[in-house]
Amino acid sequence: MTELLIRLIRRPQGLVGVALLALIAIACLFGPALAPYAPEKIDFLGRFRAPGWQNWLGADQFGRDILSRLMVGARSTVPMALIATLAGSAAGAIIGVGSAYLGGRTDEAIMRTNDAVMAIPGLLMALLLVSTLGNGTGNAVVAIAVAFAPGMARVTRSVALNIRNQDYVKAAIARGESALWIIFREMLPNVMAPIVIETTIRVSFAVMLFATLSFLGVGAQPPASEWGLMVADARQYMYQAPWGLIAPSAAIALTAIAFNLLGDGLRDALNPKDER
Amino acid sequence: MTPALAIKNYTLDYLTAAGPVRVLHDISLEIAPGEVLGLVGESGSGKSSLAWALMRHLPDNAREIAGSLHLGDTDLQRLGPRELTKIRGRRLGMVFQDPSTALNPTLSIGRQVTETLIQHRGLSQREANALAIDLLGHVELRDPAAIMRRYPHEISGGEKQRVIIATAFGCRPDVILFDEPTTALDVITGARILKLFARLREETGVAALYISHDLALVTRVADRVAVLKHGRLVEQAPAADIFRAPRHADTQALVQAVPRPEHRLVHDKSGDDVLLAASDIEVHYGRAKLFGHAPPPATRRVGLDVRAGEILGLVGESGSGKSSVARALTGLARFSGTVRFDNRVITGARDMNAAYRRDVQIIFQHPDASLNPRHKVGEILSRPLKLYGGNAAEIPRLLEQVRLPASYAGRWPHQLSGGEKQRVAIARAFAARPKIVICDEITAPLDVSVQAQIIELLLALRAATGTAFLFITHDLNLIRQIAHRIAVMRGGEMVDLLAIEDFDTDHVHPYTSELMAASPVPVG
Repeated sequence: MTELLIRLIRRPQGLVGVALLALIAIACLFGPALAPYAPEKIDFLGRFRAPGWQNWLGADQFGRDILSRLMVGARSTVPMALIATLAGSAAGAIIGVGSAYLGGRTDEAIMRTNDAVMAIPGLLMALLLVSTLGNGTGNAVVAIAVAFAPGMARVTRSVALNIRNQDYVKAAIARGESALWIIFREMLPNVMAPIVIETTIRVSFAVMLFATLSFLGVGAQPPASEWGLMVADARQYMYQAPWGLIAPSAAIALTAIAFNLLGDGLRDALNPKDER
Repeated sequence: MTPALAIKNYTLDYLTAAGPVRVLHDISLEIAPGEVLGLVGESGSGKSSLAWALMRHLPDNAREIAGSLHLGDTDLQRLGPRELTKIRGRRLGMVFQDPSTALNPTLSIGRQVTETLIQHRGLSQREANALAIDLLGHVELRDPAAIMRRYPHEISGGEKQRVIIATAFGCRPDVILFDEPTTALDVITGARILKLFARLREETGVAALYISHDLALVTRVADRVAVLKHGRLVEQAPAADIFRAPRHADTQALVQAVPRPEHRLVHDKSGDDVLLAASDIEVHYGRAKLFGHAPPPATRRVGLDVRAGEILGLVGESGSGKSSVARALTGLARFSGTVRFDNRVITGARDMNAAYRRDVQIIFQHPDASLNPRHKVGEILSRPLKLYGGNAAEIPRLLEQVRLPASYAGRWPHQLSGGEKQRVAIARAFAARPKIVICDEITAPLDVSVQAQIIELLLALRAATGTAFLFITHDLNLIRQIAHRIAVMRGGEMVDLLAIEDFDTDHVHPYTSELMAASPVPVG
C-alpha cells in the first residue's frame, strides 16, 4: 500500500491529485472546527458582502460566510458522492465482467436489460428511486449507485471481451477453474485501469447529481450547506453576487479535477509493467 | 563507386530512466548498388533500430552518439523534415513485418498505391492508376483492377504483402529496407513472396537491406550476410560461406540452432497403447443466427490418436484448423465427434472432468498472453497445484524442473524474457503431472537459439515423466527432428498422417511435398 502511494506521488498528476484530495479530506474531517464562522450564522449587515478580509470568499443573501459553509458542506457532499460512485462502479464492473465471461445468450440478455436501464436518464432514474424509497441522503446514494451501474457495466464489458480472448483466461478454462475465480482473479484485475479512470470521472458527476437532487428538494434540505444546494440557492442572485455561485462551483470542479488526476496517477501506479 | 547505402561507425543510445542504454555499437556496413545485404540477429539485437535510424524515424529518447548514415551522396542525418519526405519512399523504400497493420484499413488498395505514386513520381491520377494496375499485375496478383477497388480486410495477408512490395518497388527507390517481410506469413505464402522478391530484384537491380532473425532464410535471399549480436556486428561474410564456415562463435551458435530434419533429437520408440483417440472432430465457431446459417466447421471430421509417450506432430499453414483441434481437445471450442481418453468417451466440454483436465494440458503460442500479467509467477504456478492436489512447497521444484531459479516465484511475468515466460508456461502445464501436453506453436514467437533450448527442455521433461506430446507447428524442419509421427492438415482436413520413417518417401500427399519444398533444408 505504501509502495503504491510512493509510486503514485512520483508522478506530477498523482502528486497534485493526492495533495488536492488531502485538502478535501481535511475539510471533510475538520471542516467545522477550522471554519472561521458557524455555517448558519446570519449577518444582516453583511448581505452579499464581496470577498474581502471579513469574508474571504464573500457572503450570501443572508450574510452567511461562504468559506465556512463550503468547509462544513464538504462533509455532506464528497463522501456521499464517493460512496455512491464506488458502489455503482463495483456493481457495474462485476456485471460487465461476468457478462463478458458468460458470453452467448446470457451476455445478450444481461446487456439488453442493461441497455433498457441505460435508456432512462440518470437523473430520472435517481428521482424515480428516491420517490419510491423516500427522501434522504442514504436513499440518494442508492439511487445514484443504481443510475451509474449500467454505464459502468458497458465500459467494463467492452474491455473484458478482449481479456476474455486472452490465452491466460483460456488456460484457466482449460485447467477447469471455477467461474468465480476466472471473473474475480483472472479477468477483473486486468480491467481495473479503465474502471478506475471511469470511476474517478464519475465522482464529479455524482457530486452534480447530488446537487441536482438537493435542488429538486429530494436530497439534502436547506439550510444544509451541501455544495450543490449552495449553487442552486445562489443561482437567483447570480448578477448581484456572482461569488456565491463561483465558490461552490469551483469547489465542485476542484474536487472533480482532483479525482481525475488521482485516476490518471492510479492508472500508472497500478500497472506492474511500469516499474522503472 | 559510391555505395548505395553506407553506415559508418554508427553508435546509438536509448535514454531510459536507468540511464543510457547502448543499442548499436560502432556499426559499419556498406551496400553496393544492386546488392542485397542480409542482417541477422536475435530479437533485441538492435536490427530494427538500425532500420528505423535509416528511415530517420527514431523515438524521442534515441541519441545518436557517433557515426554517419549516407544514402548515395546524401547525408541522411542532416536532412530536415521536408527533405526527408522526398527521400522516404522515393529513394529509400521500406517493407514492414506485418502487412495487416502496414495498410490503412479505411482506404482502398488502389488509393493507397496511387497516392504514393502521385506523391513521389509526380504522375497524374490517370497515369498512376494505369501504373498501379501494371505494378500489381507484376507482383502476380490476379485481376489487379479488382484488387484496386478492395479494402485491406478483403484480401489475404500474402496479397497485402504483395501490394506493399509493389508500392515499394513502384517508386523505383535506390534502396529498400525489408524488416522481416515473411515472418507474419505462413510458410508457403512466405516462400512465394521470397521467390517474387528474387525476381523483382533481378529485374530492377535495386539494392536492399534484408533484416531477419532466420539465418537459413537470409542466406537464400542475400548476397552478403552480416550478423548482429547485442548491437555489435560480429561477422560479415558472403551468404554462401556463412553457413558452411561460420567464423565467430555467435554465428556458429546461430547456425547450430537452425533445425535440420536429418539431425534427429528423439531416438526411442513410442509405446503402442493409444492414450487419446479423437475421431470425426468437427470444430464449430459461432451458432446459427436468426437469419443466416452457422459458419462451416473449422475442421472436417478429423481423426487422430496419440500413443503413450509419443510425440505427434501436427503441421499446416495458418487457417488449416490445427489450433482448432487443440481447442477442441481442451474443451475451449464447441465440437462434434468423440474423444476417447482413459476408457471414457467424451463428446463435449461438459464431459471433461477434473481428471481429464489434469491429464490433458495445453501450452499456448504466446507466453505474453498465456500468463496473467497481474499474477506473480508463484501464483501462476500455484493454481494447478491447488486444483489438482499438491502444495505450494512444490513451486521451487517446478521452477527448477524448467531450469529457472526458485527466486523467480516472486517476479511478475513482464520482468521475464520471452523464453523464460514460455518456461513458466511449461512449468504450469507440468505441475499437473499430465499424461499428454498439447503444444500449440509454442516455439513460433521465439528466437532460433531460444527455440532450441525450449525443445531440449521439453525432451528432457519427456524423458523424466514419459509424457506424450501433441506438437502443433508450421515448422516442418523442427518437427521432423522430434516427432514419431506427423499429421498434415490443410483447409480443415487431414491430408497425411505418417510415421517419421515414411516421411521422405514418394507416397506423401502432394500438399505435404509442397510444404516440404517451401521449408527448405539449410544449405551446408
